[in-house]
Amino acid sequence: MTRSSTPRPPTTTRAAVCAAAVLAAALTACGAPGESADNTGASSGPIKVAVVNAQSGQLSSLGDWEYKGARLAVDEWNKKGGIDGRTVQLKLFDDQGDPTTGTNIARRLVSEKYVAMIGTAESAVTIAMGPVLQQAKIPNITSGQSDGLVALKSPYLFLNGPTSTTYDTTLAQHLVTDKGYRKIAMITNNGSFGKGEHDAFLTSVKGLGVTPATDQVVTTDQKEFSAALTKIRSTKPEVIFIGSEEVEAGLIVKQARDLGITAPFAGAAPQGTPVFIDTAGKEAAEGTIVSSPYLSNDVSDASKKFAAAYLAAYGEEAEMHGAKAYDGANILLSALETSKGAVGEELADAIRATRYQGLLGDFRFDGTGVGITRTTIGVIRDGKLVPQQ
Amino acid sequence: MQETLQTLVGGLSLGAVYALVAMGFSLVYRTMGLVNFAHADIAMIGAYAASTFYLTSKLPFAVAMVVAIAVTAAIGLVIERVLRPLENKDFDLMLIGTIGFGIVLQAVAILIWGTTGRAVRSPVPSAPLDLFGIRVRTYDLLVMAVAALAVLGLAWFLARTKRGAAMQAVAMDHEAATAVGIDVGRSNALAFSIGAGLAALAGGLVGPMLYVDASLGGALGIKGFAAAMLGGFGSIPGAVVGGLAIGVLDSYAAGHFQGYSVLVTFLVFTAAIMIRPTGVFGERTVSRA
Repeated sequence: MTRSSTPRPPTTTRAAVCAAAVLAAALTACGAPGESADNTGASSGPIKVAVVNAQSGQLSSLGDWEYKGARLAVDEWNKKGGIDGRTVQLKLFDDQGDPTTGTNIARRLVSEKYVAMIGTAESAVTIAMGPVLQQAKIPNITSGQSDGLVALKSPYLFLNGPTSTTYDTTLAQHLVTDKGYRKIAMITNNGSFGKGEHDAFLTSVKGLGVTPATDQVVTTDQKEFSAALTKIRSTKPEVIFIGSEEVEAGLIVKQARDLGITAPFAGAAPQGTPVFIDTAGKEAAEGTIVSSPYLSNDVSDASKKFAAAYLAAYGEEAEMHGAKAYDGANILLSALETSKGAVGEELADAIRATRYQGLLGDFRFDGTGVGITRTTIGVIRDGKLVPQQ
Repeated sequence: MQETLQTLVGGLSLGAVYALVAMGFSLVYRTMGLVNFAHADIAMIGAYAASTFYLTSKLPFAVAMVVAIAVTAAIGLVIERVLRPLENKDFDLMLIGTIGFGIVLQAVAILIWGTTGRAVRSPVPSAPLDLFGIRVRTYDLLVMAVAALAVLGLAWFLARTKRGAAMQAVAMDHEAATAVGIDVGRSNALAFSIGAGLAALAGGLVGPMLYVDASLGGALGIKGFAAAMLGGFGSIPGAVVGGLAIGVLDSYAAGHFQGYSVLVTFLVFTAAIMIRPTGVFGERTVSRA
C-alpha cells in the first residue's frame, strides 16, 4: 500500500473482471448439480422423496420407527425396479420434534425440489410445515393424528392413519357402551397432540351422555403429577383416559400406581408402544385399554409378512408407527406409479384417488385427506398389546 | 388437606434432585465465579452412565452410582483443564466454552446411547408407604436421604477440611491465595470435579423417577439453575432451600394452574428474584472477571 500510492486503473479493472468471471463461474458451478439434474417434473433420474421426523429428543423413537417403516417400503419398490424404471431416493431430515426446525426443512424441500414428503409423526411440526408445502405443491403423507391437521384444509396433506376423533370415538364407545363405565377421569397434556385427544375424547363421551369426573391438564414437559393424580384418586374413577405422548404417559401411569390408583388407563396410539410400557413398567401398564388401527404383528397375513420383513431388515419387532409409515410410503409410491411419476397437483390427485388395502385398514381418502376412519380396541397383557377378547 | 400434603411430598422428592443440581452450579460459581452451563448435560451423562452400569452391566445401584460419579468427575476435570488457560483472561469465552461443552456432551450421548432413551426401574422394589392416606414412595425417601447426606458432606468438606478451606480462600481472593501457596488451578479442578460428581448424583438418582434420554439435562438444568438463583447463587444452603422451593412450587402450580403451571412457576420465580435479587441466602456475589 505505502510503497506505490499511484493508482493503476487498468490492473484494477482487469482484476475486477477476473473476479466477476470467477464468481459467476463459481455460482453456476454451485447451482448446476442440484438444479439441472432434478427439474420439477423431470421424467428421468431418481425420484426424490423426503422423510422428515425427529431423530433426537424425547420423541425420537417415533421418528426412528417411522423412518424404518418408510425405508422398508421404498427398498421393496426399488428392488422390484422402482417406478417406471426410476429409483426412489429417500432422504431423512431430523426435525428434532421442533416446529421451527420443521419449517426450515420445508423450505429446503422446496428449494431442493423434493417430489413428496413422508412424515412427520408429530402433528405440531406437520401443521407448521403445511403452508410452505401447500404453496410449493408438495404432497405430504403425515403420521400425525391431530384434528388440527384436517383443519389446515390443505389439499396436499394426507394422513396415513386415523385422526384423534376416530381413535377416541371408538374408545369412548367401548368404555361407555360396552364396558358400562360412568366414572371416567381424564388427564391430558396441553401440547398439540394432547389437546386434540382432550377435545376429541371429551366430545365423544359427552355425546354418550357421560361427563368426566375430573379433567386434569398437565404441561408437555411436566415430570411430577402428584397434584393431578391425587385429584383423580379422590374421584375414585373406574377408568382413566390419558392423552399424552409415550414417555409422559408412562410416567403418569407409573406415578399413579405408586399413589395407589388401581383403575385401568385407556388411550390411543402412544399407549400401545413399547416405550410407554417400558417407562410405566410392565406391571403398571397391565390392563391399559388402547384404541389402535394396528394391534399386533400377527393379526393378518399382510401384517405377518410386514413384521417378518421388518425384523429381517432391522432386527427389531415391528410396531404401529413403522406400519403406518410403511402404509403411507406404499400409498405414495402407488400413486407415483399410476400417475407415471407425476408431481404437484397431479400427484396429490393421484394419492387421493388411490384405494389401498394396508396394514392399518382400507385406505379411501376423502376430501379432507383422511383415509381411515376405524380403529380396534386392544389391551396390554404381559407387556404386549393384544386384541380385546 | 390430604391433597395438599400429597402434592407437597411429590414436590419435595423432585425438589431434592433440583437442590443437588443447584449445589453443583453453586459450588463451581463459588470457587471460580463461573456459571458452568455444561452442568445440566453432565447430569444427563451421569444419568446415562448410572443406568448403563445398573441395567446393562448389572451392577448394584449404589455401585453404578459411584462409577457414574467417577466418570463425570473425570469429565469435570477435562473441562476445567481445557478452560484453564482462559482463567482470569477471558471470562466470556469461558462461559461460552461451558455452553459448547454442554452441546458436545449431548452429541456424545446420542452417539453412544442412541436417540431413544431408556426407562430405569426403581432399585427399591418395595411398595409405597401409606401415612394417613398419603403415599410416600420408598425410593423418594432414599433420594431425599442421599441428597441430605450430600449436603452435609459438602458443608463439612468446605468448612472443616484444609482443601475445603483452601477452596474458599481461592474464592475470596485468588491472588492472596496464590501468595500463601495455594494452587489455584488444582483448587478449581477440584471444584469442577466435585460439581460434576454432584451432577451425576442428581442425574443418577432422577433416572428411576423419570426417563433417561439426551434431553434430560434440559429438564433438570433450567429448574436447577432457577433453584440456585432463588437460593442465592454460590450459597450451599441457598441451593438446598431453592431446590426444595422450586420443586414444591412446581408441584402446587401444576395442581392449581394445570396447563399453565410452567408459566406460573417462572412468574413466581421472577417476582421473588425482583424482590430479592441476591436470592434467599444471597451474599455479595463473587466476581473474578
